[in-house]
Amino acid sequence: MSVKYVPVIWNRTKLVYDVVVLAIVGAYLGIYIYLAPTFQTVTRPIDWDIYKAQAFGTCVFFLLTFILSIGPLARLDKRFLPLLYNRRHLGVITCVLAYFHVDYILGWYNAFSPINRYVSVFIVNTSFDRFLGFPFEILGILALLIMTILAVTSHDFWLHFLKPTLWKFLHMGIYLAYALIIGHVALGALQSAAGPFMTAATGVSLTLVITLHLLAARKEHLIDSLKSTLDDSGDWMDAGSPEDIPDKRARIISIEDDERVAIFRNGTKLSAISNVCAHQNGPLGEGKIVYGCVTCPWHGYQYRVEDGRSPPPFTEKISTYRIKLESGRLWLNVKALPPGTYVEPVVSPMTGEGS
Amino acid sequence: MATKKPDPFFIGWAKKPPKSLQGFLFLVSAVLIGAAAGVAFGIGSSVPDPGDARFAWGAGYQTFTGYVDAKPYPLLRLPAGEGGRDKPHAMLITGVGKRGMQQLAGPLNGQPVDAGGILLKRGDLDMLQVGGRVSLRPAENPVLNFSPAPTEQLGRWRLTGEICDGKCYTGAMRPGVGLAHKACANFCIIGGIPPVFVTTAPLLGSEFFLLADENGEPLSSDVEDWVALLISLEGEVERRDDLMIFKVNLDSAKQL
Repeated sequence: MSVKYVPVIWNRTKLVYDVVVLAIVGAYLGIYIYLAPTFQTVTRPIDWDIYKAQAFGTCVFFLLTFILSIGPLARLDKRFLPLLYNRRHLGVITCVLAYFHVDYILGWYNAFSPINRYVSVFIVNTSFDRFLGFPFEILGILALLIMTILAVTSHDFWLHFLKPTLWKFLHMGIYLAYALIIGHVALGALQSAAGPFMTAATGVSLTLVITLHLLAARKEHLIDSLKSTLDDSGDWMDAGSPEDIPDKRARIISIEDDERVAIFRNGTKLSAISNVCAHQNGPLGEGKIVYGCVTCPWHGYQYRVEDGRSPPPFTEKISTYRIKLESGRLWLNVKALPPGTYVEPVVSPMTGEGS
Repeated sequence: MATKKPDPFFIGWAKKPPKSLQGFLFLVSAVLIGAAAGVAFGIGSSVPDPGDARFAWGAGYQTFTGYVDAKPYPLLRLPAGEGGRDKPHAMLITGVGKRGMQQLAGPLNGQPVDAGGILLKRGDLDMLQVGGRVSLRPAENPVLNFSPAPTEQLGRWRLTGEICDGKCYTGAMRPGVGLAHKACANFCIIGGIPPVFVTTAPLLGSEFFLLADENGEPLSSDVEDWVALLISLEGEVERRDDLMIFKVNLDSAKQL
């Protein structure tokens, strides 16, 4: 969290994260470029520029696979949440590596001619009406364009400027970029320049991403399908027993398909807030009360549980909801209050501090 | 007495992750680094063999004296004995980079020439990248008692294979074939490098055919749509010295 814009807000976690990412990239490129060639069974080695282009290109593909796997992994197992924290740095690093891939290709396959190498990408293969033989380079260029836009707008300045909903929508473009890269790889490298391991690894990557997303979607669907009953007025929803909510944690109640409420318990007090973090729409209900504030599991944004406001000097605020306790059961008013509205917590005599 | 269940919660801006998560995160990091190393090794060590194609830089600058044929694409007709061969040899020639030799070879068509440059070699195939001090010029000392043999007609055939650019296939690029190389091959053909047809099975001992249209002229730009695909083509096959020429109508092309 920050009240001013700085290029990069560093902290120990981010530094460690980046060091691990660089170690992964370094291990991949180092072994691909310098060790693997000594084990190849080739008459003559692949041209050095093309080989490096392959190294960087495949590295980008697998990093993207990893990036897209982090979200569902964190949904399925909260221990993976730390991988999500600094994912933007991972995305920017991936984009930079993609430019190395392009530079090596343009500097070799598209060089040595009077035709401008950048122009040549668009004019030397115009078989747009074919499947095999389609100018797969264009798919890569489009993916690079998307990745560049996402990298440039990854900073919180753009998040605040565009607002979280639009920013999130824009950054969902990473899925389109991944699909384009799958097409780029399938119609290009896999047709002739890749060995069996690359083909298998590409298939496994795609299967992994799809499977993880399906599993995470199934989990989300199960949460949404647990619709609670409304009372006769239609305003109050049965939110279950307060005793079942662990201290400092929340129960997530699905009101509509796209609206969830997090009912937090802080000792004997219960409060309800929107499940959606104002920062990046993170799932607040999977967060925890730390230092008296609900803390988002994604990036640590904090809100006071009684009024949904971030503690000063921060200015974020989210919707709150009224709850009541009747006959030992919690009832949630499904009408959201304006963001930042104070609601007196409900005190439950059945829940003890720290139980 | 009930014991309190550990409830680790990661906060990015906290000084450290919860102790109970540190081991897991260390394990995940190690697995990711190991997986990156393993995948890199697996892919990098299993790349397909690009073949024994290369610039013969070690042989240095070489000069040849023979005759030049400008059509369908420039080639040198060399007498027996040139380059250590015991029979006359027809050798494709190319310019530096992705440039053909039409401009220089056209005015010299059918004349004795000197050609100098760097050889490209792929097995028994070779090509001369013309340039340097000799380049392509009228022969200073034409080979005596030598004139190229007439073209030998070998009949009509349908052949299966892949259209490549002659230069990359012969050694300018590794790999110089396949769809990943298609744009580069088109680039070369646009620049005047001769397109060649590399067949999946030999015909009369050859798997390498210089392509021409049905009239023995350079192919139209339509050839670019068929480059790097596994196709079959029908046309007349002829031989000039040891070089096969496949005169095709691109309308006969079928993608396989």
